[in-house]
Amino acid sequence: VNRPLAQTEIQRILALVPWVIAHPGTPKTDLAARFGVSLDQLDADLDLVLMIGVPPYSPGDYLDVETDDEDRVTIRLADYFRRPLRLTPAEGLALLAAGRALLGVPGSDPAGPLATALAKLEAALDLPDVVIEVGDPEHLAAAREAARCRERIEIEYWSAGRGELTTRRVDPAVVFFALGAWYLGAYCHRAEAERVFRVDRIRGLRPTGEHFAAGESEFDAAEVFNPSPDDPRVTLRLPPAAAWVAEAYPTEAVTERGDGILDVVLAVSEPAWLERLLLRLGPEAQVLRPAEWTGLGAEAATRVLARYRR
Amino acid sequence: VGRVTDNPTRVERVLNLLALLLDTSHPLTRDEIVGEVSGYPAQASAYRRAFERDKEILRSMGVPITVEQVGDTGESGYRVRPEDYYLPDLGLTAEETAALRVAVSAVALDHPAGEGALMKLGSRTAPGQAPIASLPLVPVLAPLFDAFRRRAVVTFTHRGRARTLESWGLTSQRGHWYVVGLDHDRGAIRAFRADRIEGDVAIGPPDAFTIPDDFRPELHIEDRAWMLGTGEPTTVQLVVDAGYTDWIGPELGDDATVEPRADGSTLVTLPVVDRSAFRSFALGFLDHAEVLGPADVRADIVEWLETIASGPAGPA
Repeated sequence: VNRPLAQTEIQRILALVPWVIAHPGTPKTDLAARFGVSLDQLDADLDLVLMIGVPPYSPGDYLDVETDDEDRVTIRLADYFRRPLRLTPAEGLALLAAGRALLGVPGSDPAGPLATALAKLEAALDLPDVVIEVGDPEHLAAAREAARCRERIEIEYWSAGRGELTTRRVDPAVVFFALGAWYLGAYCHRAEAERVFRVDRIRGLRPTGEHFAAGESEFDAAEVFNPSPDDPRVTLRLPPAAAWVAEAYPTEAVTERGDGILDVVLAVSEPAWLERLLLRLGPEAQVLRPAEWTGLGAEAATRVLARYRR
Repeated sequence: VGRVTDNPTRVERVLNLLALLLDTSHPLTRDEIVGEVSGYPAQASAYRRAFERDKEILRSMGVPITVEQVGDTGESGYRVRPEDYYLPDLGLTAEETAALRVAVSAVALDHPAGEGALMKLGSRTAPGQAPIASLPLVPVLAPLFDAFRRRAVVTFTHRGRARTLESWGLTSQRGHWYVVGLDHDRGAIRAFRADRIEGDVAIGPPDAFTIPDDFRPELHIEDRAWMLGTGEPTTVQLVVDAGYTDWIGPELGDDATVEPRADGSTLVTLPVVDRSAFRSFALGFLDHAEVLGPADVRADIVEWLETIASGPAGPA
């Protein structure tokens, strides 16, 4: 028995029936689109609805589903399913969180339909408000606008990994909030490849007036944080006190070595990132592979020490 | 594409069980229910198990099944009160429902609850719309939100310590969710990162406290790791090279000062409670920053670096 699937269907029927009761004569194609199912699945759902009834289960005690010759659906005799099931705490929070987050994005209308929808939701369900802060870095609005109208821009960008300021012409594809910061995914003409930039590290942004064609920069926001296949893979041996690393960063493999010691494999795009991690973790964390980086932590520590000793 | 219904008899039985529980005017015992609803096995031990599973699937969806004692034997009687079950009419316009749809589509919550809520409003996320923000809802947030709504005290384990908290607010700051409120053990307002809560959250009885009208949870977030802990703060000076000030970040706080120096570098003066957390922050600059003082904090950093510079601790 596949329980989650059964649950999904029950939940859909409990939403579908009150919708049809409130909107009699809705065409099947509209219903299928609204509830995200195929017409076959909708028919299967409606067949099931016909089997719902209450004692004494005489013909008039079952739900009545009627489909006219233009495939418009009406449901009758379902008084007990006239309203959908109330929202769970997770569902109430999900609507509020998504709504407040989007309202927090600079440029949203603070008095528009989203704001009034959330106010109605809070009032009708006695939901408390949640405060969501997504930040507003200086060049966010301009980056979003450039992505929206596909305009090439020139940015001055501070690369934290390399510690250098560069000027680049980029074709912005997506602007995305994740892990607490705003990112710009763009085709970079300097690197001649797609790159991800932190918007709060953009020091200057100038529109070029040039536009790029749709599809020239194919960027999948969901893949923004997936490591590039070319990034070197590093195997780290972590003492128990550093086991948090396995949870804080996307690991490709975690092997328990006993006594709480873990070996983890991480994709590392910038050696400076790994240096910072190693200095933070201390002498008990070791790079096992690749061989050329086994001394990276000791070299970084020596370099920093030189500064303290001069 | 064939029929996609999974286990139609089970789905049908659960829907009929719910219809009966909603329609009845008085609580029904298990035997009464099983006698009415078709699809239950004949054998007593089998139908008891099936009934328990059906109740469980309904409860897991949020169906409020009440249990009352009935008759002389005090047997359990079940029903669903319509007033507990029904979603009130939210009075949303089509435009407002569409706005909620856009929001749930635009904000990736990593949780099916957004889609579930939209379905109850007769809507769903826009297919193919790429989200513009990722704000994962960790599982403990739902009970924390419920407790906040009902003004109930919560108990949970956070970083290995048991906590008892009046949840006065829930907030998401810089990508992290926090529950904020009065910590009973410390007698003070504290914020806890939700993703650092281990295991389940236990919820006490409702209406256990009142939340001050002017309470703003976002003002109580301490995300500077070096300010966590209970000791007296030490004032520390850190010099950051020209060009590396972007690494300082916006999270320094109002009690820190940032002064530009003549050579283009920046002198940061900040209070520090947790010295190892500060060490991590300072070493994040690699050789582009230096702790100037006080002397013991500087000595700690030098000593730490020396142990790393001398190579791996154990046999490789």
